[in-house]
Amino acid sequence: MNYTTLTFSAAVMATAFAFSGCGKKSGDSASTSAGSDAPKKKMTEIRAKGSDTMIQLATAWAEAYRKVDPNVMINANGGGSGTGIAALVNGTADICNASREIKKEEAEKIKAATGKDVKETAIAYDALAIYSNKANPLTDISIEELTEIWAEGGVDENWEQINPAFTGKIVLIGRQSSSGTYDYFREHICGKTADKKQREFRQGISELVGSSEVVENVVKTPTAIGYSGMGYKTPGVNWLKVSKKKGEPGVEPGIDAARSGAYPISRKLYIYTVGEPEGETKAFIDWVLSDAGQKIVAAEGFVPLK
Amino acid sequence: MHDSAHTTPRRRRLPLIDWFEKPIELLIRISGWSSIIGVVTIFLFIFREAAPMVPKLDWWQFFTSPRWIPSPGAGNAPSYGALGLIVGTFATTGLALLVAVPVGLGAAVYIAEFAKGKTKETLKIVIELLAAIPSIVWGFIGLMILGPLLQKLFVAEAGSTWGKIMVTLHLASTETGAAQPTNLLCGGIILALMSVPLIVSLAEDALRAVPDSFREAALALGANQWETVRRVLFPAARNGLLAACLLGMGRAVGETMAVLLATGHSNRIPEALTDPVRTITATIASEMGETAHGDPHYQVLFILGIVLFIITCGINVAADLIIKGVKKQGHA
Repeated sequence: MNYTTLTFSAAVMATAFAFSGCGKKSGDSASTSAGSDAPKKKMTEIRAKGSDTMIQLATAWAEAYRKVDPNVMINANGGGSGTGIAALVNGTADICNASREIKKEEAEKIKAATGKDVKETAIAYDALAIYSNKANPLTDISIEELTEIWAEGGVDENWEQINPAFTGKIVLIGRQSSSGTYDYFREHICGKTADKKQREFRQGISELVGSSEVVENVVKTPTAIGYSGMGYKTPGVNWLKVSKKKGEPGVEPGIDAARSGAYPISRKLYIYTVGEPEGETKAFIDWVLSDAGQKIVAAEGFVPLK
Repeated sequence: MHDSAHTTPRRRRLPLIDWFEKPIELLIRISGWSSIIGVVTIFLFIFREAAPMVPKLDWWQFFTSPRWIPSPGAGNAPSYGALGLIVGTFATTGLALLVAVPVGLGAAVYIAEFAKGKTKETLKIVIELLAAIPSIVWGFIGLMILGPLLQKLFVAEAGSTWGKIMVTLHLASTETGAAQPTNLLCGGIILALMSVPLIVSLAEDALRAVPDSFREAALALGANQWETVRRVLFPAARNGLLAACLLGMGRAVGETMAVLLATGHSNRIPEALTDPVRTITATIASEMGETAHGDPHYQVLFILGIVLFIITCGINVAADLIIKGVKKQGHA
């Protein structure tokens, strides 16, 4: 669950604190052995902030990277991609994990605040799965139908409009507006209005503060539909196969489908830094892109780059 | 006072105390004033952050439209319609009071007038413990236990009698019953549970403040215990009891984490008791993190903060005036 990972990141933070305060007294074997090699080498802290979708991935990286370089402490926090980018602007984070591309105005804000261009590194693929309750017999859904379900002014409000075999008002469960998942889903599902502007979500969607909370609520709500990352599937929910147009066969979210683009709702995940990454940050990002880092990507339910 | 302190023999023996007295006095004075300074600074801070938006905001839309799109897609203008949030806040609070006031006053009467010895002490301790449960835990209870329970209670086949009753009485918006486990009812009950301890302890104080001569007089007139409570104690402690309820209400209005988890956090005007809602506090909590300092969205969240501040301030001032009323009556 997301809360556990949050607690874990809090624990990571607390440890980072303890370490920076009393590195010498540390009981951690890895750190003491490194300390004996280079007794005056300082602990470096890399502050990572951003996407809630990527928080499990980020904490898993942080944990694994301690074995790679015990002198570097990755402090991974969530809050949403927008929050992470805001942290780059304010200088309260060194790297931002983002589940969407940076917006033009955000890049300009970083340039204005720091004088440097933001640097983008794609690190994984993610497919947004459409979750429905086990009680719902529906197996396939099209982007066209999803638009009518989620977008403002959409016509589909009841399940019988999608599939006569299931009735009830559709309960929409999504993410809060600071998450990259929210932005991404709005852009790719709600589509454009007649005057070529972004069509907004309809009102009355439960905007929850966490990827696993979305799935948790779909489990408890028979008539629900929700969107969340692929890594959050539990036994109580179904994945809907997604097609572009109504009537076409749907594609199940999966590694190959996400990477090839056959699955219509897949996206890249990014790490953003202010300027070219340097020193320990560069070493960390290089490691993330290496086989070891990408193995963790797969283990956390995301899709590795290669 | 300083001179007289020197003339007392005890003071002469401990000159250090004299030396310390002034700074300590100052420290205590600062502590006393700090709360006032705190309130004023908080208000100034909230107002300063919100001020640039005050002339720009479409206030009509803010109070009459439920369309809340603070971070719109590329090319769209944001829509700051807070009606749904304001209605959500009042709906959850109102429901919480409906549950908490009878339960809280009943418990207070029982503890103050009926319970004796060990029962009384145990109850008081347990209720104080209840007040110490963190709000996030209450939220979890709502999401994981109470919500699913309510969902089982408010469920029916489409077309069934219970389904029709639920729709007619606005218990559920469809005949199949409550769709989501987390909703207005779940949030209201959780808030009620959270404000009950406050109401109980304040109401019990108010009841205890009624002089025993009142009780004795009532009993002497032949009233039984229930009549004493209803006819004598309630009117005598009226203001204190009202203040207890208002402070409980203040607690419910300002609660954040529990309602974020337990209400469904869905922006809409609820049509039925088991529709999900979204409150002002939960909106500020979930959206504050994303906004850049000085952004219109940031400023609108502060305006929501002012609305909330005015509501809670109003409640507290009302409670205060009522308590003052009690004192005046006591002196007269």
